[in-house]
Amino acid sequence: MQSFETLLQGSSKAHGHLCPGQVVGVRMAMLGCRLIGLDDPSSPSQIKKLIVYVEMDRCAADAVAHVTGVKLGRRSLKFMDYGIMAATFVNLETDQAFRVLSTEESRDLAEAYVPEIGDPVQRQFMAYKRMPDSVLFRVQQVRVAMSDCDMPGPSNYKTVCSQCGQIVRDGREIIQNGLPVCRPCTEECYFSQAEEIVWDEMNWSPARERLCTQL
Amino acid sequence: MLKRIKIEEAVGTKLAHDITEIRPGEFKGPAFQMGHEVCNADICHLQKLGKNHLYLVDLEDDEIHENQAASVLATGLAGQGIVWENKPEEGKIKLYAGLDGLLTVDTASLAAFNMIEEVMCATLHNQTLVAKGQLVAATRAIPLVMKEAPIRRAAGIASQNNGILAVRPLPRIDVGLVITGNEIYHGLIQDKFAPILTEKIDALGSKVAGVAFAPDNVDQICAAIEQHIAAGCQLILTTGGMSVDPDDVTRHAIKKAGADMIYYKAAVLPGAMFLTAYIGDVPILGVPACGLYHRVTVLDLVLPRILAGERITRKQLALMGHGGLCQDCPDCTYPHCPFGKV
Repeated sequence: MQSFETLLQGSSKAHGHLCPGQVVGVRMAMLGCRLIGLDDPSSPSQIKKLIVYVEMDRCAADAVAHVTGVKLGRRSLKFMDYGIMAATFVNLETDQAFRVLSTEESRDLAEAYVPEIGDPVQRQFMAYKRMPDSVLFRVQQVRVAMSDCDMPGPSNYKTVCSQCGQIVRDGREIIQNGLPVCRPCTEECYFSQAEEIVWDEMNWSPARERLCTQL
Repeated sequence: MLKRIKIEEAVGTKLAHDITEIRPGEFKGPAFQMGHEVCNADICHLQKLGKNHLYLVDLEDDEIHENQAASVLATGLAGQGIVWENKPEEGKIKLYAGLDGLLTVDTASLAAFNMIEEVMCATLHNQTLVAKGQLVAATRAIPLVMKEAPIRRAAGIASQNNGILAVRPLPRIDVGLVITGNEIYHGLIQDKFAPILTEKIDALGSKVAGVAFAPDNVDQICAAIEQHIAAGCQLILTTGGMSVDPDDVTRHAIKKAGADMIYYKAAVLPGAMFLTAYIGDVPILGVPACGLYHRVTVLDLVLPRILAGERITRKQLALMGHGGLCQDCPDCTYPHCPFGKV
Protein backbone atom coordinates (compact mmCIF):
# COMPACT_ATOMS: atom_id res chain seq x y z
CA MET A 1 0.00 0.00 0.00
CA GLN A 2 1.30 3.46 -0.86
CA SER A 3 1.62 6.04 1.92
CA PHE A 4 -1.46 7.93 3.07
CA GLU A 5 -0.15 11.24 1.74
CA THR A 6 0.65 9.76 -1.69
CA LEU A 7 -2.80 8.21 -1.92
CA LEU A 8 -4.46 11.45 -0.79
CA GLN A 9 -2.56 13.43 -3.40
CA GLY A 10 -3.57 11.01 -6.16
CA SER A 11 -7.14 10.86 -4.96
CA SER A 12 -7.60 14.63 -4.83
CA LYS A 13 -6.16 14.92 -8.35
CA ALA A 14 -8.54 12.26 -9.66
CA HIS A 15 -11.51 13.79 -7.82
CA GLY A 16 -10.75 17.40 -8.69
CA HIS A 17 -10.18 18.93 -5.29
CA LEU A 18 -8.73 18.24 -1.86
CA CYS A 19 -11.35 18.11 0.89
CA PRO A 20 -12.12 16.45 4.25
CA GLY A 21 -14.17 13.81 2.42
CA GLN A 22 -11.07 12.76 0.51
CA VAL A 23 -9.22 12.19 3.79
CA VAL A 24 -12.07 10.07 5.15
CA GLY A 25 -12.37 8.10 1.91
CA VAL A 26 -8.66 7.39 1.60
CA ARG A 27 -8.47 6.25 5.23
CA MET A 28 -11.66 4.21 4.92
CA ALA A 29 -10.20 2.36 1.94
CA MET A 30 -6.83 1.82 3.62
CA LEU A 31 -8.55 0.36 6.68
CA GLY A 32 -10.96 -1.77 4.64
CA CYS A 33 -8.17 -3.26 2.55
CA ARG A 34 -6.09 -3.95 5.65
CA LEU A 35 -9.01 -5.76 7.28
CA ILE A 36 -9.50 -8.09 4.30
CA GLY A 37 -5.78 -8.70 3.93
CA LEU A 38 -5.05 -6.81 0.71
CA ASP A 39 -1.97 -4.60 0.87
CA ASP A 40 -1.86 -3.53 -2.79
CA PRO A 41 -5.45 -3.75 -4.01
CA SER A 42 -4.97 -2.22 -7.45
CA SER A 43 -2.10 -4.56 -8.36
CA PRO A 44 -2.80 -7.20 -11.04
CA SER A 45 -2.50 -9.97 -8.46
CA GLN A 46 -5.11 -8.47 -6.10
CA ILE A 47 -7.50 -6.41 -8.21
CA LYS A 48 -9.70 -9.41 -9.07
CA LYS A 49 -10.04 -10.43 -5.43
CA LEU A 50 -11.78 -7.24 -4.39
CA ILE A 51 -15.34 -5.94 -4.55
CA VAL A 52 -16.29 -2.69 -2.81
CA TYR A 53 -19.82 -1.54 -2.05
CA VAL A 54 -20.05 2.22 -1.46
CA GLU A 55 -23.17 3.58 0.21
CA MET A 56 -22.79 7.24 -0.75
CA ASP A 57 -22.11 9.26 -3.90
CA ARG A 58 -19.98 11.88 -2.16
CA CYS A 59 -16.30 12.87 -2.26
CA ALA A 60 -15.33 9.90 -0.11
CA ALA A 61 -16.70 7.47 -2.71
CA ASP A 62 -14.21 8.70 -5.32
CA ALA A 63 -11.39 8.39 -2.78
CA VAL A 64 -12.37 4.80 -1.99
CA ALA A 65 -12.41 3.98 -5.70
CA HIS A 66 -9.04 5.65 -6.25
CA VAL A 67 -7.26 3.83 -3.42
CA THR A 68 -8.70 0.42 -4.20
CA GLY A 69 -8.73 0.68 -8.00
CA VAL A 70 -12.29 -0.65 -8.15
CA LYS A 71 -14.42 0.56 -11.04
CA LEU A 72 -18.12 0.61 -11.82
CA GLY A 73 -17.47 -0.65 -15.35
CA ARG A 74 -15.47 -3.58 -14.07
CA ARG A 75 -18.27 -4.45 -11.67
CA SER A 76 -15.78 -4.34 -8.81
CA LEU A 77 -17.41 -1.12 -7.53
CA LYS A 78 -21.04 -1.39 -6.45
CA PHE A 79 -23.05 1.73 -5.65
CA MET A 80 -25.77 1.26 -3.07
CA ASP A 81 -27.70 4.51 -2.76
CA TYR A 82 -28.19 4.45 1.02
CA GLY A 83 -26.97 7.95 1.85
CA ILE A 84 -24.63 6.51 4.50
CA MET A 85 -20.93 7.31 4.76
CA ALA A 86 -19.90 3.68 4.62
CA ALA A 87 -18.28 1.12 2.37
CA THR A 88 -18.01 -2.63 2.51
CA PHE A 89 -14.83 -4.36 1.38
CA VAL A 90 -15.18 -7.95 0.18
CA ASN A 91 -12.31 -10.34 -0.40
CA LEU A 92 -13.68 -12.78 -3.01
CA GLU A 93 -10.91 -15.27 -2.30
CA THR A 94 -11.54 -15.59 1.44
CA ASP A 95 -15.20 -14.44 1.55
CA GLN A 96 -14.24 -12.01 4.30
CA ALA A 97 -16.23 -8.78 4.28
CA PHE A 98 -16.04 -5.71 6.53
CA ARG A 99 -18.32 -2.69 6.50
CA VAL A 100 -16.48 0.48 7.54
CA LEU A 101 -18.70 3.36 8.70
CA SER A 102 -17.59 6.93 9.18
CA THR A 103 -18.70 7.96 12.70
CA GLU A 104 -21.03 10.92 13.08
CA GLU A 105 -19.19 12.00 16.22
CA SER A 106 -15.97 12.55 14.28
CA ARG A 107 -17.52 15.70 12.81
CA ASP A 108 -18.27 17.08 16.27
CA LEU A 109 -14.84 16.12 17.57
CA ALA A 110 -12.88 18.17 15.03
CA GLU A 111 -12.68 21.13 17.40
CA ALA A 112 -11.32 18.97 20.20
CA TYR A 113 -8.61 17.52 17.99
CA VAL A 114 -7.62 20.77 16.25
CA PRO A 115 -8.35 23.66 18.61
CA GLU A 116 -5.70 25.87 17.02
CA ILE A 117 -7.45 26.22 13.62
CA GLY A 118 -10.52 28.43 13.38
CA ASP A 119 -11.66 27.77 9.80
CA PRO A 120 -14.20 24.92 10.02
CA VAL A 121 -13.19 23.19 6.77
CA GLN A 122 -9.47 23.39 7.44
CA ARG A 123 -10.07 22.22 11.00
CA GLN A 124 -12.09 19.24 9.79
CA PHE A 125 -9.46 18.41 7.19
CA MET A 126 -6.66 18.39 9.77
CA ALA A 127 -8.76 16.63 12.42
CA TYR A 128 -9.50 13.72 10.09
CA LYS A 129 -5.77 13.28 9.66
CA ARG A 130 -5.11 13.35 13.41
CA MET A 131 -7.92 11.11 14.63
CA PRO A 132 -7.11 7.44 15.08
CA ASP A 133 -9.13 4.92 13.11
CA SER A 134 -11.02 4.01 16.30
CA VAL A 135 -12.49 7.53 16.46
CA LEU A 136 -13.02 8.03 12.74
CA PHE A 137 -14.69 4.68 12.01
CA ARG A 138 -16.84 1.86 13.28
CA VAL A 139 -16.39 -1.53 11.68
CA GLN A 140 -18.80 -4.42 11.25
CA GLN A 141 -17.93 -7.87 10.02
CA VAL A 142 -20.68 -8.72 7.53
CA ARG A 143 -21.75 -11.39 5.09
CA VAL A 144 -22.39 -10.29 1.53
CA ALA A 145 -24.57 -12.59 -0.53
CA MET A 146 -23.44 -12.26 -4.15
CA SER A 147 -25.03 -14.13 -7.02
CA ASP A 148 -23.24 -15.06 -10.24
CA CYS A 149 -25.04 -12.14 -11.83
CA ASP A 150 -23.20 -9.72 -9.50
CA MET A 151 -19.72 -10.95 -10.36
CA PRO A 152 -17.18 -9.22 -12.63
CA GLY A 153 -16.62 -10.71 -16.07
CA PRO A 154 -18.77 -11.16 -19.17
CA SER A 155 -22.56 -11.27 -18.86
CA ASN A 156 -23.63 -14.86 -18.54
CA TYR A 157 -27.32 -14.17 -18.46
CA LYS A 158 -29.51 -12.08 -20.77
CA THR A 159 -33.23 -11.93 -21.27
CA VAL A 160 -35.71 -9.98 -23.37
CA CYS A 161 -38.33 -7.62 -21.95
CA SER A 162 -41.73 -9.10 -22.66
CA GLN A 163 -43.20 -5.61 -23.15
CA CYS A 164 -40.68 -3.61 -25.23
CA GLY A 165 -38.14 -6.17 -26.46
CA GLN A 166 -35.18 -4.53 -24.69
CA ILE A 167 -32.29 -6.89 -23.82
CA VAL A 168 -31.75 -6.94 -20.05
CA ARG A 169 -28.45 -8.30 -18.67
CA ASP A 170 -27.37 -9.85 -15.41
CA GLY A 171 -30.78 -10.76 -14.01
CA ARG A 172 -31.87 -7.15 -13.54
CA GLU A 173 -35.33 -7.79 -15.04
CA ILE A 174 -38.55 -7.77 -13.00
CA ILE A 175 -40.90 -10.72 -13.25
CA GLN A 176 -44.52 -9.61 -13.72
CA ASN A 177 -47.25 -12.18 -14.20
CA GLY A 178 -44.52 -14.74 -14.76
CA LEU A 179 -42.90 -12.74 -17.59
CA PRO A 180 -39.62 -10.74 -17.62
CA VAL A 181 -40.01 -6.95 -17.83
CA CYS A 182 -37.26 -4.29 -17.98
CA ARG A 183 -37.39 -1.65 -15.27
CA PRO A 184 -38.32 1.24 -17.60
CA CYS A 185 -41.46 -0.71 -18.40
CA THR A 186 -42.35 -0.85 -14.70
CA GLU A 187 -43.00 1.82 -12.11
CA GLU A 188 -39.53 1.22 -10.61
CA CYS A 189 -37.87 3.63 -13.02
CA TYR A 190 -36.02 6.88 -12.42
CA PHE A 191 -37.51 8.64 -15.52
CA SER A 192 -40.97 9.05 -16.95
CA GLN A 193 -42.79 10.25 -20.08
CA ALA A 194 -40.15 8.77 -22.44
CA GLU A 195 -40.67 9.85 -26.03
CA GLU A 196 -38.27 8.97 -28.82
CA ILE A 197 -36.93 11.94 -30.85
CA VAL A 198 -34.64 12.80 -33.78
CA TRP A 199 -31.84 15.40 -33.43
CA ASP A 200 -29.56 17.61 -35.48
CA GLU A 201 -26.53 16.06 -37.18
CA MET A 202 -27.72 12.63 -36.25
CA ASN A 203 -25.40 10.98 -38.79
CA TRP A 204 -22.20 12.16 -37.08
CA SER A 205 -19.55 9.52 -36.39
CA PRO A 206 -15.81 9.76 -35.65
CA ALA A 207 -15.03 7.98 -38.92
CA ARG A 208 -17.21 10.40 -40.90
CA GLU A 209 -15.62 13.38 -39.16
CA ARG A 210 -12.15 12.10 -40.03
CA LEU A 211 -13.23 11.63 -43.66
CA CYS A 212 -14.63 15.16 -43.83
CA THR A 213 -11.39 16.59 -42.40
CA GLN A 214 -9.30 14.80 -45.01
CA LEU A 215 -11.47 16.15 -47.84
CA MET B 1 -29.86 -10.36 27.53
CA LEU B 2 -32.04 -9.20 30.43
CA LYS B 3 -35.13 -11.02 31.68
CA ARG B 4 -37.61 -9.03 33.77
CA ILE B 5 -39.26 -10.83 36.71
CA LYS B 6 -41.71 -9.73 39.37
CA ILE B 7 -40.18 -9.04 42.77
CA GLU B 8 -42.41 -11.67 44.40
CA GLU B 9 -40.88 -14.28 42.08
CA ALA B 10 -37.30 -13.18 42.76
CA VAL B 11 -36.63 -15.23 45.92
CA GLY B 12 -33.67 -17.49 45.29
CA THR B 13 -32.34 -15.49 42.31
CA LYS B 14 -29.07 -13.57 42.36
CA LEU B 15 -29.01 -9.80 41.84
CA ALA B 16 -27.61 -8.79 38.45
CA HIS B 17 -26.32 -5.47 39.76
CA ASP B 18 -25.89 -3.39 42.90
CA ILE B 19 -29.09 -1.77 44.10
CA THR B 20 -28.54 1.75 45.32
CA GLU B 21 -30.20 3.26 48.36
CA ILE B 22 -30.29 6.99 48.96
CA ARG B 23 -31.38 8.42 52.30
CA PRO B 24 -31.13 12.20 51.89
CA GLY B 25 -28.30 13.66 53.94
CA GLU B 26 -27.59 10.30 55.52
CA PHE B 27 -26.54 7.56 53.13
CA LYS B 28 -25.91 6.82 49.46
CA GLY B 29 -24.56 3.44 48.47
CA PRO B 30 -25.45 -0.11 47.56
CA ALA B 31 -28.22 -1.51 49.78
CA PHE B 32 -27.74 -4.85 48.03
CA GLN B 33 -24.70 -5.92 46.11
CA MET B 34 -24.53 -7.73 42.81
CA GLY B 35 -24.65 -11.49 43.34
CA HIS B 36 -26.72 -11.23 46.52
CA GLU B 37 -29.26 -14.07 46.70
CA VAL B 38 -32.69 -12.61 47.26
CA CYS B 39 -34.54 -14.03 50.29
CA ASN B 40 -38.04 -13.45 51.64
CA ALA B 41 -36.81 -10.84 54.13
CA ASP B 42 -35.42 -8.70 51.28
CA ILE B 43 -38.67 -8.28 49.39
CA CYS B 44 -40.09 -5.53 51.60
CA HIS B 45 -36.79 -3.60 51.58
CA LEU B 46 -36.58 -3.84 47.80
CA GLN B 47 -40.15 -2.63 47.45
CA LYS B 48 -39.35 0.35 49.68
CA LEU B 49 -36.56 1.15 47.22
CA GLY B 50 -39.13 1.24 44.44
CA LYS B 51 -38.28 -2.16 43.00
CA ASN B 52 -41.28 -4.12 41.84
CA HIS B 53 -39.31 -6.04 39.22
CA LEU B 54 -35.76 -7.36 38.96
CA TYR B 55 -33.59 -8.32 36.02
CA LEU B 56 -32.04 -11.72 35.51
CA VAL B 57 -28.92 -11.56 33.38
CA ASP B 58 -28.22 -14.15 30.72
CA LEU B 59 -25.25 -12.85 28.74
CA GLU B 60 -25.00 -13.62 25.02
CA ASP B 61 -21.55 -14.34 23.59
CA ASP B 62 -21.17 -10.78 22.27
CA GLU B 63 -22.47 -9.06 25.43
CA ILE B 64 -20.76 -7.74 28.52
CA HIS B 65 -21.95 -6.85 32.04
CA GLU B 66 -21.50 -3.29 33.32
CA ASN B 67 -18.90 -4.31 35.92
CA GLN B 68 -16.75 -6.17 33.39
CA ALA B 69 -17.17 -3.21 31.04
CA ALA B 70 -16.02 -0.76 33.71
CA SER B 71 -12.84 -2.80 34.20
CA VAL B 72 -12.15 -2.83 30.46
CA LEU B 73 -12.65 0.94 30.32
CA ALA B 74 -10.45 1.66 33.35
CA THR B 75 -7.67 -0.47 31.88
CA GLY B 76 -7.75 1.62 28.73
CA LEU B 77 -7.99 4.97 30.49
CA ALA B 78 -5.22 4.51 33.04
CA GLY B 79 -1.81 5.61 31.89
CA GLN B 80 1.40 6.16 33.80
CA GLY B 81 0.92 7.16 37.42
CA ILE B 82 -2.78 6.20 37.61
CA VAL B 83 -4.01 3.47 39.96
CA TRP B 84 -7.41 1.83 40.39
CA GLU B 85 -8.92 -1.19 42.05
CA ASN B 86 -10.83 -3.76 40.08
CA LYS B 87 -13.81 -3.50 42.41
CA PRO B 88 -16.58 -1.77 40.47
CA GLU B 89 -19.29 -0.24 42.63
CA GLU B 90 -22.65 0.24 40.96
CA GLY B 91 -20.86 -0.23 37.64
CA LYS B 92 -18.40 2.53 38.37
CA ILE B 93 -14.62 2.52 38.84
CA LYS B 94 -12.67 5.40 40.35
CA LEU B 95 -9.14 6.21 39.23
CA TYR B 96 -6.57 7.78 41.54
CA ALA B 97 -3.19 9.46 41.33
CA GLY B 98 -0.52 6.89 42.10
CA LEU B 99 2.01 9.61 42.91
CA ASP B 100 2.38 13.34 43.47
CA GLY B 101 2.61 15.17 40.17
CA LEU B 102 0.83 16.80 37.27
CA LEU B 103 -2.33 15.21 35.93
CA THR B 104 -2.49 15.17 32.15
CA VAL B 105 -5.71 14.45 30.31
CA ASP B 106 -5.79 13.81 26.57
CA THR B 107 -8.87 15.97 26.16
CA ALA B 108 -9.47 15.16 22.49
CA SER B 109 -9.41 11.43 23.15
CA LEU B 110 -11.59 11.94 26.24
CA ALA B 111 -14.16 13.72 24.09
CA ALA B 112 -14.00 10.88 21.54
CA PHE B 113 -14.39 8.32 24.35
CA ASN B 114 -17.43 10.12 25.76
CA MET B 115 -19.04 10.29 22.33
CA ILE B 116 -19.58 6.54 22.53
CA GLU B 117 -23.10 6.05 23.75
CA GLU B 118 -22.54 3.28 26.29
CA VAL B 119 -19.67 4.81 28.29
CA MET B 120 -18.63 7.86 30.28
CA CYS B 121 -15.57 9.20 32.02
CA ALA B 122 -15.33 12.39 34.08
CA THR B 123 -11.95 13.80 35.09
CA LEU B 124 -10.31 16.70 36.83
CA HIS B 125 -9.00 19.41 34.52
CA ASN B 126 -5.97 18.73 32.40
CA GLN B 127 -2.72 20.06 33.94
CA THR B 128 -3.96 19.91 37.55
CA LEU B 129 -1.41 19.37 40.31
CA VAL B 130 -2.47 16.27 42.23
CA ALA B 131 -1.31 14.41 45.32
CA LYS B 132 -0.81 10.67 45.62
CA GLY B 133 -4.14 8.99 46.36
CA GLN B 134 -6.25 11.86 45.03
CA LEU B 135 -9.33 10.97 42.98
CA VAL B 136 -8.67 12.14 39.42
CA ALA B 137 -11.36 10.42 37.33
CA ALA B 138 -14.22 7.95 37.34
CA THR B 139 -15.69 5.85 34.57
CA ARG B 140 -18.74 3.71 34.10
CA ALA B 141 -20.67 1.83 31.50
CA ILE B 142 -24.23 3.12 31.24
CA PRO B 143 -26.41 0.07 30.46
CA LEU B 144 -26.52 -2.93 32.76
CA VAL B 145 -25.74 -5.24 29.83
CA MET B 146 -24.43 -4.14 26.45
CA LYS B 147 -22.67 -5.30 23.32
CA GLU B 148 -18.96 -5.79 23.93
CA ALA B 149 -17.74 -4.20 20.66
CA PRO B 150 -18.46 -0.54 21.58
CA ILE B 151 -16.79 -1.09 24.96
CA ARG B 152 -13.67 -2.47 23.27
CA ARG B 153 -13.67 0.44 20.83
CA ALA B 154 -13.99 2.93 23.69
CA ALA B 155 -11.13 1.21 25.52
CA GLY B 156 -9.10 1.35 22.30
CA ILE B 157 -9.67 5.10 22.01
CA ALA B 158 -8.80 5.48 25.69
CA SER B 159 -5.56 3.55 25.46
CA GLN B 160 -4.06 5.37 22.50
CA ASN B 161 -1.01 7.44 23.46
CA ASN B 162 -0.65 5.20 26.55
CA GLY B 163 -3.93 6.15 28.18
CA ILE B 164 -6.08 9.26 28.37
CA LEU B 165 -5.01 9.87 31.98
CA ALA B 166 -1.51 10.09 33.40
CA VAL B 167 0.25 11.65 36.35
CA ARG B 168 3.70 12.86 35.53
CA PRO B 169 6.11 13.25 38.43
CA LEU B 170 7.83 16.57 39.02
CA PRO B 171 11.50 15.67 39.44
CA ARG B 172 13.64 17.67 41.83
CA ILE B 173 15.85 19.90 39.68
CA ASP B 174 18.27 22.77 40.20
CA VAL B 175 16.88 26.16 39.23
CA GLY B 176 18.95 29.31 38.63
CA LEU B 177 17.49 32.77 39.24
CA VAL B 178 18.72 35.89 37.45
CA ILE B 179 17.34 39.04 39.10
CA THR B 180 17.82 42.00 36.75
CA GLY B 181 17.42 45.75 37.17
CA ASN B 182 19.77 48.64 37.87
CA GLU B 183 17.69 49.68 40.87
CA ILE B 184 18.25 46.35 42.60
CA TYR B 185 21.81 45.74 41.39
CA HIS B 186 22.92 49.13 42.69
CA GLY B 187 21.04 48.69 45.97
CA LEU B 188 18.46 51.46 45.47
CA ILE B 189 15.67 49.06 46.39
CA GLN B 190 15.57 45.62 47.94
CA ASP B 191 14.81 42.60 45.74
CA LYS B 192 11.46 40.96 46.47
CA PHE B 193 11.46 38.58 43.54
CA ALA B 194 13.91 35.93 44.75
CA PRO B 195 11.91 35.00 47.89
CA ILE B 196 8.65 34.77 45.91
CA LEU B 197 10.16 32.55 43.21
CA THR B 198 12.03 30.42 45.71
CA GLU B 199 8.80 29.69 47.56
CA LYS B 200 7.04 28.64 44.35
CA ILE B 201 9.95 26.40 43.31
CA ASP B 202 10.21 24.82 46.77
CA ALA B 203 6.48 24.08 46.74
CA LEU B 204 6.91 22.10 43.54
CA GLY B 205 9.75 20.04 45.00
CA SER B 206 12.71 21.63 43.22
CA LYS B 207 15.38 23.91 44.64
CA VAL B 208 16.99 27.22 43.83
CA ALA B 209 20.64 26.40 43.26
CA GLY B 210 21.81 29.96 42.77
CA VAL B 211 20.65 33.56 42.61
CA ALA B 212 22.53 36.01 40.37
CA PHE B 213 21.95 39.77 40.23
CA ALA B 214 22.63 41.80 37.09
CA PRO B 215 22.02 45.40 35.96
CA ASP B 216 20.06 46.22 32.81
CA ASN B 217 23.00 45.24 30.69
CA VAL B 218 22.83 42.64 27.95
CA ASP B 219 26.33 41.24 28.49
CA GLN B 220 26.01 40.92 32.27
CA ILE B 221 22.58 39.27 32.15
CA CYS B 222 23.87 36.94 29.42
CA ALA B 223 26.90 36.05 31.54
CA ALA B 224 24.67 35.27 34.55
CA ILE B 225 22.54 32.92 32.45
CA GLU B 226 25.63 31.19 31.07
CA GLN B 227 27.05 30.74 34.56
CA HIS B 228 23.86 29.06 35.77
CA ILE B 229 23.89 26.69 32.78
CA ALA B 230 27.60 25.92 33.37
CA ALA B 231 26.77 25.15 37.01
CA GLY B 232 24.22 22.54 35.88
CA CYS B 233 20.96 24.39 36.36
CA GLN B 234 18.16 22.68 34.43
CA LEU B 235 15.82 25.67 34.49
CA ILE B 236 16.50 29.41 34.64
CA LEU B 237 14.09 32.12 35.71
CA THR B 238 14.86 35.74 34.93
CA THR B 239 13.00 38.67 36.43
CA GLY B 240 12.69 42.27 35.32
CA GLY B 241 13.44 43.91 31.99
CA MET B 242 10.55 42.15 30.25
CA SER B 243 8.55 45.24 29.26
CA VAL B 244 8.85 47.56 26.27
CA ASP B 245 11.00 50.32 27.78
CA PRO B 246 14.39 51.01 26.22
CA ASP B 247 16.05 49.84 29.45
CA ASP B 248 14.30 46.48 29.25
CA VAL B 249 17.01 44.33 27.71
CA THR B 250 16.54 40.94 29.36
CA ARG B 251 15.08 39.28 26.29
CA HIS B 252 18.01 40.53 24.20
CA ALA B 253 20.35 38.97 26.74
CA ILE B 254 18.47 35.68 26.62
CA LYS B 255 18.85 35.67 22.84
CA LYS B 256 22.55 36.49 23.11
CA ALA B 257 22.99 33.59 25.55
CA GLY B 258 22.02 31.25 22.73
CA ALA B 259 18.24 30.83 22.96
CA ASP B 260 16.88 29.66 19.66
CA MET B 261 13.14 29.34 20.33
CA ILE B 262 11.88 32.53 21.95
CA TYR B 263 8.19 33.17 22.57
CA TYR B 264 7.63 36.63 24.04
CA LYS B 265 3.94 36.55 24.82
CA ALA B 266 1.42 34.45 26.69
CA ALA B 267 -2.36 34.64 26.30
CA VAL B 268 -2.73 35.01 30.06
CA LEU B 269 -3.42 37.92 32.38
CA PRO B 270 -1.51 38.53 34.54
CA GLY B 271 1.53 37.56 32.53
CA ALA B 272 1.05 38.75 28.94
CA MET B 273 4.73 39.74 28.67
CA PHE B 274 5.97 36.37 29.81
CA LEU B 275 8.90 34.99 27.86
CA THR B 276 9.62 31.35 27.16
CA ALA B 277 12.89 30.31 25.53
CA TYR B 278 15.19 27.33 25.32
CA ILE B 279 18.96 27.10 25.28
CA GLY B 280 19.40 23.52 24.19
CA ASP B 281 17.10 21.63 26.54
CA VAL B 282 17.26 24.22 29.33
CA PRO B 283 14.09 26.32 29.57
CA ILE B 284 14.51 30.03 30.26
CA LEU B 285 11.43 31.72 31.69
CA GLY B 286 11.28 35.50 31.71
CA VAL B 287 8.95 36.55 34.54
CA PRO B 288 7.38 39.99 34.07
CA ALA B 289 6.91 42.45 36.92
CA CYS B 290 3.33 41.28 37.58
CA GLY B 291 4.90 38.33 39.39
CA LEU B 292 5.77 40.69 42.22
CA TYR B 293 2.23 41.90 42.78
CA HIS B 294 -0.12 39.05 41.92
CA ARG B 295 -0.18 35.88 43.98
CA VAL B 296 -0.83 33.85 40.84
CA THR B 297 0.36 34.57 37.30
CA VAL B 298 1.15 32.74 34.08
CA LEU B 299 4.27 31.39 35.81
CA ASP B 300 2.11 29.23 38.08
CA LEU B 301 0.48 27.69 35.02
CA VAL B 302 3.69 27.07 33.11
CA LEU B 303 6.12 26.06 35.86
CA PRO B 304 4.54 22.67 36.77
CA ARG B 305 4.31 21.74 33.10
CA ILE B 306 7.96 22.63 32.52
CA LEU B 307 9.02 20.61 35.56
CA ALA B 308 6.94 17.67 34.33
CA GLY B 309 9.01 17.68 31.17
CA GLU B 310 6.68 19.41 28.73
CA ARG B 311 8.25 21.62 26.10
CA ILE B 312 6.21 24.82 25.99
CA THR B 313 5.77 26.40 22.57
CA ARG B 314 3.73 29.15 20.95
CA LYS B 315 0.78 26.77 20.58
CA GLN B 316 0.50 25.96 24.30
CA LEU B 317 0.89 29.63 25.23
CA ALA B 318 -1.86 30.57 22.76
CA LEU B 319 -4.27 27.88 23.95
CA MET B 320 -4.01 29.21 27.50
CA GLY B 321 -6.10 32.22 26.41
CA HIS B 322 -9.36 30.43 27.12
CA GLY B 323 -9.52 30.49 30.91
CA GLY B 324 -6.37 32.57 31.11
CA LEU B 325 -7.99 35.64 32.66
CA CYS B 326 -7.48 36.00 36.41
CA GLN B 327 -10.38 37.80 38.09
CA ASP B 328 -8.07 39.18 40.77
CA CYS B 329 -10.45 38.18 43.56
CA PRO B 330 -9.87 39.84 46.96
CA ASP B 331 -9.69 36.36 48.52
CA CYS B 332 -7.74 34.31 46.00
CA THR B 333 -8.80 30.65 45.93
CA TYR B 334 -6.48 29.45 43.16
CA PRO B 335 -6.18 26.59 42.18
CA HIS B 336 -9.87 26.15 43.06
CA CYS B 337 -11.02 28.66 40.46
CA PRO B 338 -11.35 28.81 36.67
CA PHE B 339 -7.96 30.49 36.13
CA GLY B 340 -5.77 28.44 33.83
CA LYS B 341 -8.23 25.59 33.44
CA VAL B 342 -8.06 24.23 29.92
